[in-house]
Amino acid sequence: MSPIKSRKKLKSSEVKYGLPSEVVFCKRCIISNQRPNSTVEFKNTKEDKKETIAFGRDGICDACRYAEYKDTQIDWKLREKELIKLCDKHRSKNGYYDCIVPGSGGKDSAFTAHVLKYKYGMNPLTVTWSPHLYTDIGQKNFTSWIHKGGFDNILFTPNGRVHRLLTKYAFENLLHPFQPFVIGQRNIGPKFAILYKTPLIFYGENQAEYGNNIKDNDAPTMKESFFAQNTTLENLFLGGVSAKSLISKDKISLNDLNPYIPAPYKEIKKLGVQVHYLGYYLKWDPQECYYYASKNTGFQVNTERTEGSYSKYSSIDDKIDPFHYYTLLIKFGIGRATNDAVQEIRNKKITREEGVALVHRYDQEFPQKYFKEFLEYIDLAEDKFWKLINSGRSPHLWKKEKGEWKLKHIVK
Amino acid sequence: MNYKNKKNIAIVDYGVGNLHSLTKALGHFGQNVFITEDADEIRVADAIVMPGVGAFKSGMEGLKIRGLVNTVKDFSKTGKPVLGICLGAQLLMSEGYEFGKLKGLNIIPGKVVPFGKIKEKVPHIGWNEIYPATKMGWSKTLFELIRPNIDVYFVHSYMFKPKDRKNILALTKYGNFEFCSAIKKGNIYGCQFHPEKSGELGLKIIGNFIKLI
Amino acid sequence: MKKIRIIPRLDIKGSNVVKGIHCEGLRIVGNPKDLACKYYKEGADELLCMDVVASLYQRNLDFNLLKSFSDGIFVPITVGGGIRSTNDINSALRAGADKVAINTYAIKNPQFLNEAVKKFGSQCIVLSIEAKKRPDGGWEAYTDGGREKTGIDAVQWSKKAIKLGVGEIILTSIDHDGIRKGYDIELISAISSFSPVPLIVHGGADSPDSFLDVLKKCRPEGLSAASVFHYGDFSIKDIKKHLFNKGFPIRYEL
Repeated sequence: MSPIKSRKKLKSSEVKYGLPSEVVFCKRCIISNQRPNSTVEFKNTKEDKKETIAFGRDGICDACRYAEYKDTQIDWKLREKELIKLCDKHRSKNGYYDCIVPGSGGKDSAFTAHVLKYKYGMNPLTVTWSPHLYTDIGQKNFTSWIHKGGFDNILFTPNGRVHRLLTKYAFENLLHPFQPFVIGQRNIGPKFAILYKTPLIFYGENQAEYGNNIKDNDAPTMKESFFAQNTTLENLFLGGVSAKSLISKDKISLNDLNPYIPAPYKEIKKLGVQVHYLGYYLKWDPQECYYYASKNTGFQVNTERTEGSYSKYSSIDDKIDPFHYYTLLIKFGIGRATNDAVQEIRNKKITREEGVALVHRYDQEFPQKYFKEFLEYIDLAEDKFWKLINSGRSPHLWKKEKGEWKLKHIVK
Repeated sequence: MNYKNKKNIAIVDYGVGNLHSLTKALGHFGQNVFITEDADEIRVADAIVMPGVGAFKSGMEGLKIRGLVNTVKDFSKTGKPVLGICLGAQLLMSEGYEFGKLKGLNIIPGKVVPFGKIKEKVPHIGWNEIYPATKMGWSKTLFELIRPNIDVYFVHSYMFKPKDRKNILALTKYGNFEFCSAIKKGNIYGCQFHPEKSGELGLKIIGNFIKLI
Repeated sequence: MKKIRIIPRLDIKGSNVVKGIHCEGLRIVGNPKDLACKYYKEGADELLCMDVVASLYQRNLDFNLLKSFSDGIFVPITVGGGIRSTNDINSALRAGADKVAINTYAIKNPQFLNEAVKKFGSQCIVLSIEAKKRPDGGWEAYTDGGREKTGIDAVQWSKKAIKLGVGEIILTSIDHDGIRKGYDIELISAISSFSPVPLIVHGGADSPDSFLDVLKKCRPEGLSAASVFHYGDFSIKDIKKHLFNKGFPIRYEL
């Protein structure tokens, strides 16, 4: 069946972010073709056109295609052997750290660190880039990770004032308040790797599984361009603004940039830093990570479901996080429930029909709980917040009906 | 088994009841078991079962709406076996006191009354023992060859109070309180408990009922 | 003497039995028919079958599925999940349920309990409570499979529901669910101390001694468990034997 044809040809001004003008939903998993792929965040500017998830002619998205491939074509025993070989090569003989595991103590990093240490005999140093604003449950799980799971950990918290300012700009310019977090989180592993002269870094799953270029799944490692650069003040963009511009306008100083500058290529190459995805070697199942983390690191779900979704265990440690997902809803028409559901559909935990019911019920829910705190954090008045949000709605996705904004296309 | 030799057992559908469980338990013995609210089908059956989940008032109303009050009464006079279970058994009595005083089918004289002020929790839910009311035991009754003091499953807030002690077939102790857990009048039986939910021993009781046919 | 009931619990989603932790997670642990049969043969006194996503997905539990696995099970089955009308209750009873457990819809429409009790009798209507400890004391009742807060105090709600006529209460501790660290004695005591209707407790069973512990401290009428049975930590027979040997009234053949 061919994709939905739009009734009229849309003007380019009616389609924001360079997104496909027709909205199509995957027949298997309910993601829409508006889903953007991962970006190199420190190059992200307002004018950027988004690369989006690819769909086949059969109406099935690349992420589903990969999930099928994962289930049927990959020899996981062989992949595990590769992991063991990699671990054997790097495993410490003198008690020193042999790998870096960036994470927060959420279910995915809890699983990654624990299985590497206690099953594969590695000696990980866990490194944490602090959430913008810790939730109680996030703090609890982080502590539990270290004390119950049993890991050495370095928590890096960036200068709060700078971080807040960058978050403000990221929200105002890009409708992407999570950007400073993402930048820091991607930087921290390689930078500590260099500092501790430990070249091997492990993340959990490859974001490619969720719809980036499907070929990215073929490699166990992250592309260097995502975490290493030869940055200059001109080519480093924070909150959509060049660092040079930020400094010249006295918004931040050169001293404030350290956490946001990615590791230089030279150092990465010299040490031979490699970022591996554990999800390449072990068949990744976020739900099973939950069970594992619950058992082994004392990970606990939130007391209530996350606003905008049905899940109680996905991404629960940062109060800014719900606004990250909310801005995804505004920009791409894809809410948090969709994000959680598509992964569970692909992993065969829920059916497409069940996913649709969840999306209809939760996807557009506004994250009221931390709204006031969020506005205070980025020092923004509520009316300005809504003005920015509404200006971020692409006309090809949103329409106004009786004074209320409605999505033009909702998955069926 | 030759279809011709199968007995026809009608489960009276009067609008409330765990019909599925009962059908399966009776069906376990290879007989022709069917659920019906049709007076004619009930009349010609070889035996009938009155199922048992619901309130006395709903039960009687259910029978009345379907025009089955006289059907069941007439059947009980034929000498063919009748098995009432829980509510189904309570309806066989003269009066019930759930949500006010109501007339029952008056097949076995007596009342259906609440537990009243007892120490134990109400409803009486769970497995409890039944034992014979008299030294005669259970020979030639529904509980033939059933060992006394077996556990069967109860779930009720009201109990039988037969007028005639001869109609008391089994007793049960709930805490310090003893009550009538099964009634009998000729070939008409009423169990306060659920034999179809009492495991393998309960199935034996049902098997005995079928043997009466 | 009335016996204490050992009740395995099957959380059902679609056609599978699943088991979560703190009421989250849908890991498949088996097939309803196989597990129901297994537990019946091992001597389960009752089965508890809850569709854990019916309210979440706003649909009904699968009555056909219920019919298919309740065959051959000659002990009582309590069924719950998405019960929203007397029609639903009737359908459940016709499909093999003996009792019906209600949570989400009852909290939103308490009078429904009264309506159901009038039609089907107290002994058929069970109140299901999912309770989570509040940071400042007391317990909050949750709905939709442990996902939605209600702001309602669980203990107060149980009192109200008892007044409305429910015949039994199934009390699940969200805090102890799936973690196998013992029953939630504090929560259970809060209700068992006054409840005039039978209480079945769930959440946290780990060893035969945890069953013993909760009986000694709270004396609920029914002990429900899932993880320990589904994962094969021990069998229903093991539990019953243990409790029987310790002098508790249990339906058990030596």
